[in-house]
Amino acid sequence: MKRLLAIIIDGLLGASVGALIERVIVPALLDTSGAADTSYALLASGLGAAIYIIAGLAAKSSIGGVSLGIDTPEGRSLRTVSHLGWLTLSVFIVGGWIITAISPIEFFSGDGLAGAGRIFQALITPEFDIIGEAVSAMIVTIFTAFMATVVAVPISFLLSFPAARNVMSETPLTKTIYVILRVILNIMRSMEPIIWAIIFSVWVGIGPFAGMLALVVHTVASLTKQYSEQIEDVNSGPIEAISATGASRIQVLWFAIVPQCVIPFLSFTIYRWDINVRMATIIGFVGGGGIGTLLTQYQGVAKYNEVGTLVILITAVVWILDVVSARVREALR
Amino acid sequence: MQPLLSVRNLTLTYPNGYQALKGISFDVMPGEFLVIIGLSGSGKSTLLRCLNRLLEPTTGSITFNDRDITHIQGEALREHRARIGMIFQHFNLIPRHSVIKNVLYGALGATPTLNAMLGRFSDDAQRRAQEALQVVGIPEKAEIRADSLSGGQQQRVAIARALMQQPQLLLADEPVASLDPSTSHSVMSYLERINKEMNTTVICNLHFLSLVRQYATRVIALKNGEMVFQGSPHDITDEWFATIYGEDAVEVEIR
Repeated sequence: MKRLLAIIIDGLLGASVGALIERVIVPALLDTSGAADTSYALLASGLGAAIYIIAGLAAKSSIGGVSLGIDTPEGRSLRTVSHLGWLTLSVFIVGGWIITAISPIEFFSGDGLAGAGRIFQALITPEFDIIGEAVSAMIVTIFTAFMATVVAVPISFLLSFPAARNVMSETPLTKTIYVILRVILNIMRSMEPIIWAIIFSVWVGIGPFAGMLALVVHTVASLTKQYSEQIEDVNSGPIEAISATGASRIQVLWFAIVPQCVIPFLSFTIYRWDINVRMATIIGFVGGGGIGTLLTQYQGVAKYNEVGTLVILITAVVWILDVVSARVREALR
Repeated sequence: MQPLLSVRNLTLTYPNGYQALKGISFDVMPGEFLVIIGLSGSGKSTLLRCLNRLLEPTTGSITFNDRDITHIQGEALREHRARIGMIFQHFNLIPRHSVIKNVLYGALGATPTLNAMLGRFSDDAQRRAQEALQVVGIPEKAEIRADSLSGGQQQRVAIARALMQQPQLLLADEPVASLDPSTSHSVMSYLERINKEMNTTVICNLHFLSLVRQYATRVIALKNGEMVFQGSPHDITDEWFATIYGEDAVEVEIR
């Protein structure tokens, strides 16, 4: 089974290397914009995959096998694996350089440097006339994050018990609920808050409410995971002891599990609020309201002195919150 | 006299296939101080947890007060557990809560869920919690956090919690295994008092034979999930000792 997976990894690596050479590196060298015929790309991928797989089978060890820990190559086979590894890395770096359009010429060009100079100049000579507007937008952002955390905490708290393996291990039904809940939470967490913000800004209109809802979704997903992992980590002794008194299921949760989790829960929650303030800023860029929205407005009309004010304010608030939340979490331990 | 507890052909196989108990049978009379001995892994703890049904046996039966409790569930199971007190090697108190709260948790089985969550225990329960702390000799520690007490004191709080249940039967799983020798005797003497003065039947898992000889009225020995000895503590001869603990074992005294 693992061998099959190793062969698939080798095949994918070989195919990527073949495709990168044919689609990206060769056209760049020949200064053409890539052959239109996709059959060449397929041919190159197939060839790459075949070479990697056959080399792996011939050497009795391969990159895929090593990365899964089932191969420990020596001598000749080690040389084969390491040659293929270096080849892969080089092709990826060269291909990646071309794809991301890295251009030292533009980075160091006179025009470019002058532009950068203007922006930095503007940023370090901030326009403090807008400070009132900036502070009130910052307050909107901080409270967007705060309210998102406040709304998310009770939801996460209730969800964290059915999302904890040790609470749900009793019957097949509870195990199924646990697995389904975990999958949903993982999907919710994989979707960036910025995507949720786009969805909610269409749903409830652009503004702090959309930003808050986006943060609530992401916060629920993250906090539930952290809370439930904490629940899975509790000492089972008190659970036994409270069960032995004839306590009901809910009583066992409340008296044996919750007291062991309160402090870590608080600590996670404060940290999450801290993260949410940063996220609320970013979410503002796509219509979540607050200082992020203000920043995009001034940036859109190239008022970089005003942007400078906002950047300084954001940096200061994030830094202060970071220090404060770290201190509080330290004290809670 | 009717036995308080009857165990018949009890087996328990864990989900991973490990057979912890292989057909155990014995009776316990009211008022006994029964001690179960055996090596770690011999099935002592599993057996004790079957009696108050923290674990469900695979086959066989357990009768308590003439009632078959082998496979009861739900409300009946909680009532059964509430009648049996239990103390543990690691005390299993709720660390951040006060001593008196920990004792009150012994009344959870008799308190409606919502009332308990709001911290509303009956006046009777409050009074009995104070009394239970008197019994174990630490009434002045009532408002102190449980995790600030010494091991011996924590075990006494655990005993007080068990007393809150007004149990017919008290189970003690290695109650002195994490205590020093002098504290061990203090904790054992509290169990003895509860056994003699309150007429509560005690079933206790122990490691040290010297303690067994001093406190037990009867002894059961387990080895690899089977019962290999049953009798008076004074009948444990050197041959029995070698059978129970293995040929190389040397008896350690605790005074």
